[in-house]
Amino acid sequence: MADVMPAIHIEGLSHVYGGTVPALEDISFDVPAGRFTVIVGPSGCGKTSLLMMLAGLRAQSQGTIHCLGRPIAEPDPLRVGVIFQEASLYPWLTALANIEFPLSLRGGAMQEHRKRAEAMLELVGLTGFGARYPHELSGGMKQRVSIARGLVQDPPVLLMDEPFAALDEQTRMTMGHELLRIWSTTSKTVVFVTHSLTEAVYLADEVLVMSARPGRIIDRIHVDLPRPRNYEMMATDVFGRLRDRIWQQIRKSDA
Amino acid sequence: MKLLFARFALLALVLAAWELLPRHGIVNPLLLPPLSDVLAMLGELLQRAQVREALAVSAAEVLIAFVIAVPLGAALGVLIAENDYLGEVFKPMLFIVFAIPKSIFLPMFILVFGTGFQQKVAYAAFTTTFVVLMSAAAAVESVKQDYLLVARSYGATRLQLISRVYVPSMLPILLETLRISMIFNFTGVLIAEMYASRTGIGHMIASWGENFQMKQLFAGVVLLAAAAIVFNEAVRWLEARVGAWRT
Repeated sequence: MADVMPAIHIEGLSHVYGGTVPALEDISFDVPAGRFTVIVGPSGCGKTSLLMMLAGLRAQSQGTIHCLGRPIAEPDPLRVGVIFQEASLYPWLTALANIEFPLSLRGGAMQEHRKRAEAMLELVGLTGFGARYPHELSGGMKQRVSIARGLVQDPPVLLMDEPFAALDEQTRMTMGHELLRIWSTTSKTVVFVTHSLTEAVYLADEVLVMSARPGRIIDRIHVDLPRPRNYEMMATDVFGRLRDRIWQQIRKSDA
Repeated sequence: MKLLFARFALLALVLAAWELLPRHGIVNPLLLPPLSDVLAMLGELLQRAQVREALAVSAAEVLIAFVIAVPLGAALGVLIAENDYLGEVFKPMLFIVFAIPKSIFLPMFILVFGTGFQQKVAYAAFTTTFVVLMSAAAAVESVKQDYLLVARSYGATRLQLISRVYVPSMLPILLETLRISMIFNFTGVLIAEMYASRTGIGHMIASWGENFQMKQLFAGVVLLAAAAIVFNEAVRWLEARVGAWRT
């Protein structure tokens, strides 16, 4: 039973803002463990709200969310790690102290925390930058620190809310590739929200397409490009067809 | 380096003018005594028991008013910033009252508290509380929602949100508040002493002025200016240290 249990199970999820504005409508889907799932949809479709509910940071009006077999009612950092829009690092802490922050909230041995944080810094390719403050780091480096912070407690599920939206196009592509490298070494279940169709196809095992408000899942697209992915794949017909299919779905729903 | 030199040159120029203009009769020395005379008078005044007593009284008033006003203002400021309803109700009124020069309330403080120690502490605490309240509310509102969301997603408790996010995020603004509130506090005590009092350095300065004792008057001004500058610079130094990340 345990090996077929999905990492995330959402059933009949609906949300109404302030009792009048329908934001999410009857959303149901499963994410198998270890899968990289990307959610795309037009602005304001409720993708971020959906992610916040998955993180236990916001309550839904109706429906259930199960993560690793148990419902999510409040933030549970040992099950679910969140990586936010922009870098959202604490400017008064160094890179290393930012990565340690989640551990420090739970108490325990400082030296263990430091070691663990340093290992994460190495994983995201920032060895030697631990003593820098966020304002001394580039946008891409900040987001690497943010990823390290999300991974430091080793949660099996990682939620990412448009983490690369504030980066320039080149850095964005590099960071996507980096993320796949990190993901391949950790076997996490990832739910990744983005606006970028190229990013969606490049990263995902499966893309969930949401409609304009009220947000519903209108298509599920399996991306069977081989892994590891590389930049050359973006020029292939398969890649183009997948991206086009997502675009058509979004356009139809937005009309 | 060049800039530093220019700044010191300006200071030297002002001090030299203060010394030389009255010395050569270009400015009436009865109105502006030369700097060296003022400093000599300052040394003499500091020897007098009466002056030291006045300084001690004023310092005590400043300190007590500060100790009352800062926690009170901070608590009220956090309350109206944290509680949306209280904020909506109280903020417009506070903003309007904030605009009124507080010194016009001084006669009421004299009627209620007399002209002694209490009146000066009460008046200074009153003016300072407003400043602290407004700055504390602004400090709370300056904490980004994202910072709180991140901490909550990592399971921070209410107490941890305060100690790990609110406090460090607000600290530079809080120190600035402390600095500015001390200026208001100091002003409050001095105004109250000059207006109606028989004790304190403010009272002494006022009576030196009335009696045309210019050397004493300027010596008092130099002394108070030095005290204010030392406190201000000390807190600014602290601000720069804890606020290095704010760039």
